Amino acid sequence: MADATASLRKKLWNPEARLAYVLLAPTAVFLIAFMFYPIVYVFVMSFFRTNKLSDLVRFVGLANFIDRFHDQEFWWAALRSLIWTSSGVAVKFLAGMVIAVLLNVRYRGRKAARMAFIIPWASSVPISALLWQWVYHPEFGLLNHTLQVSGLWANPPGWLGAPLSAFIACMWVDIWIGIPFFALVFLAGMQSIPQELYESAHMDGAGPIRSFFSITIPGIRELIQISTLLSAIWTFNDFNVIYILTRAGPANSTNILITSVYMNAFVDLRFDWAAVQSVVTFLILTIVSVIYARFYFRQENN
Amino acid sequence: MKKSVMFRLGMALLIIVALVGCAPKEKPKVTFFWALYDGLTEDFRASVEAAFNKSSSDAQVQIVPVKWDDMQTKLTTAVAGGTPPEISVVGTRWILDFMSTNSVDEVSQYLSKATMDNINPAAMEAKVKGKLMGIPIAAGARILAINNDIAKDVPKTMEELEADALKVTKPPKAYGLFMVGKSFTELTDFAYYFYAAGGNFFETKADGSYGKCTVNSDAGVKALTFMAKLALKDKVVEDKFTSYTRMDGHPLFYAGKIGYVMIGAWVDSAMKQAGAKFPVTYASIPSFAGEKPAGLIITDSIAFFTKAKNLKAAGKFVDFFYQDAYKGKFDQLVGFPPTTLSAAKDPFWQSPLFQALNAAALTARPWPLVDGFDTLNNEAWKACEKVFQGQASPKDALDAAAAAVDKARGM
Repeated sequence: MADATASLRKKLWNPEARLAYVLLAPTAVFLIAFMFYPIVYVFVMSFFRTNKLSDLVRFVGLANFIDRFHDQEFWWAALRSLIWTSSGVAVKFLAGMVIAVLLNVRYRGRKAARMAFIIPWASSVPISALLWQWVYHPEFGLLNHTLQVSGLWANPPGWLGAPLSAFIACMWVDIWIGIPFFALVFLAGMQSIPQELYESAHMDGAGPIRSFFSITIPGIRELIQISTLLSAIWTFNDFNVIYILTRAGPANSTNILITSVYMNAFVDLRFDWAAVQSVVTFLILTIVSVIYARFYFRQENN
Repeated sequence: MKKSVMFRLGMALLIIVALVGCAPKEKPKVTFFWALYDGLTEDFRASVEAAFNKSSSDAQVQIVPVKWDDMQTKLTTAVAGGTPPEISVVGTRWILDFMSTNSVDEVSQYLSKATMDNINPAAMEAKVKGKLMGIPIAAGARILAINNDIAKDVPKTMEELEADALKVTKPPKAYGLFMVGKSFTELTDFAYYFYAAGGNFFETKADGSYGKCTVNSDAGVKALTFMAKLALKDKVVEDKFTSYTRMDGHPLFYAGKIGYVMIGAWVDSAMKQAGAKFPVTYASIPSFAGEKPAGLIITDSIAFFTKAKNLKAAGKFVDFFYQDAYKGKFDQLVGFPPTTLSAAKDPFWQSPLFQALNAAALTARPWPLVDGFDTLNNEAWKACEKVFQGQASPKDALDAAAAAVDKARGM
């Protein structure tokens, strides 16, 4: 027992470990102050009734959770979040893969094309959303004007004015912003695959599609997994696009969990309800991440 | 050697202490959240800031421009974070929410008698239980503006407005009436019709306090049904009206495509900025047949935030700003009738627009000063959107809104 304790102490408190603690301390303090404390505070808040300044007024146990779970709009927002995230990530993934393949082919102007594709990703999200707000403007917007002058649609709709079109329009902006991330990650992965593999496969009679599925996809599998997880988390938490374009309207049709948190906190000033939804969001994302991580590490170990 | 180093260090320390001691004492700094009203210019904001900072020997002001739509969130965040500005423009209807958390202070204790005596008593909507909790900065009734290139008749009732709008609607060149179909930070566009139908947002108890929400009263249902009829059946409002907030949509009026619009005092300056040339008539917003005239009047105020450090200095700044040279100019830029008695004497305020505003103010009603106004705002907008989208009947949508408001207010 004494040996085990001494061994553990030696492991955790040797000169090298001490240096590591010193070097890690600033980051740890930063994380505790700006990450863990707010997260813990939101968890605590979800069990309290708050006033309009988010001060804790009285302990109410699970009452806030029960209240939210009985609210139909909460479940609608959760469903919309699911559709928003799954569809958004799927389209971004597919489009990103196609673009990465195209950018990986050698042709004149490839560098310029790569630069062009990176622009949506490099721009700030609020600025991109504001640009699209003007593109979608029903009277003066570029989209409707183009549709009208090209004769494709004499009287196009107000894209942000009807529930379905508003949801799709918001999702498109999120996709437009997110595609370059996938494209760049996949492209980087594809460029690290030795060219000899493709040449050997070609000599063995494999066509481009077979090469793609048998060499490219396995070659970038890890990147696919990690980028999909990151994109899913970002997409689930994408507040800017919806808030700027529709403020979660019309009639709540673009209200997802993350916008619902904001509306509860800063429109209704119900910080306790917002805390409940934040906790739910946090738990959903944590569970997804843990499952994903286990799957990822199991594969890696294999 | 060691002695010499110690001596030098000691001397350096003495010099630093002496310099710090002699350094001029920093003037108290006043932060002012300044709402970006239509018509206000950056030059004017900067000129007020510079003029005060030059003239004041014992205070400095920083005027922070904030978009109106972001103001409430920014303020709530600042107050909740314990770093409120000394003063801020607020919607007067927000004051009760701030009072419920002891966040705002009575203003008269910080202002000079001369400033207080110069405020138009009729504009002091922020007086709560005898205490003035905000000094009025902008107050104006809403009116009906008529583009005379499209429409000539001045409707006396809402029913006449519908008939007139039907007459002049010739899409896509001209639409009879502008209607906001997309929610934004103000509930004004529903309130025009709701007040015109004789509605009250809350029942009033015997002691004058507000009880349950009555947005789903007969008046509410009548108002929302009428709005839906104008938009969906008569189709006298602009095409794709559910895509337009007030900010997005008013440019259609300035562009000469709308006959009638219910709007505020900024219409004249906004039209000039947009280069609109058509002749305009101004009138009071009509009521429904058989109902008393009742438009909407809106006041915004400057509130003093309790937890800020330099409230006395903030009072000095407000005294400075409420001189005619600055407040009078501010009023003319934003187009709201002056809230000070001296500025109201300027000939600028004798135009037909301001005569219409004054006439409308005689019968106009303000927002209810009620705790939880924002929930009402949000829920009533949701009800309007559901009706406009065909997702609910006016009665069902407003019942749900009233229930949500009562629940949020703990009733």
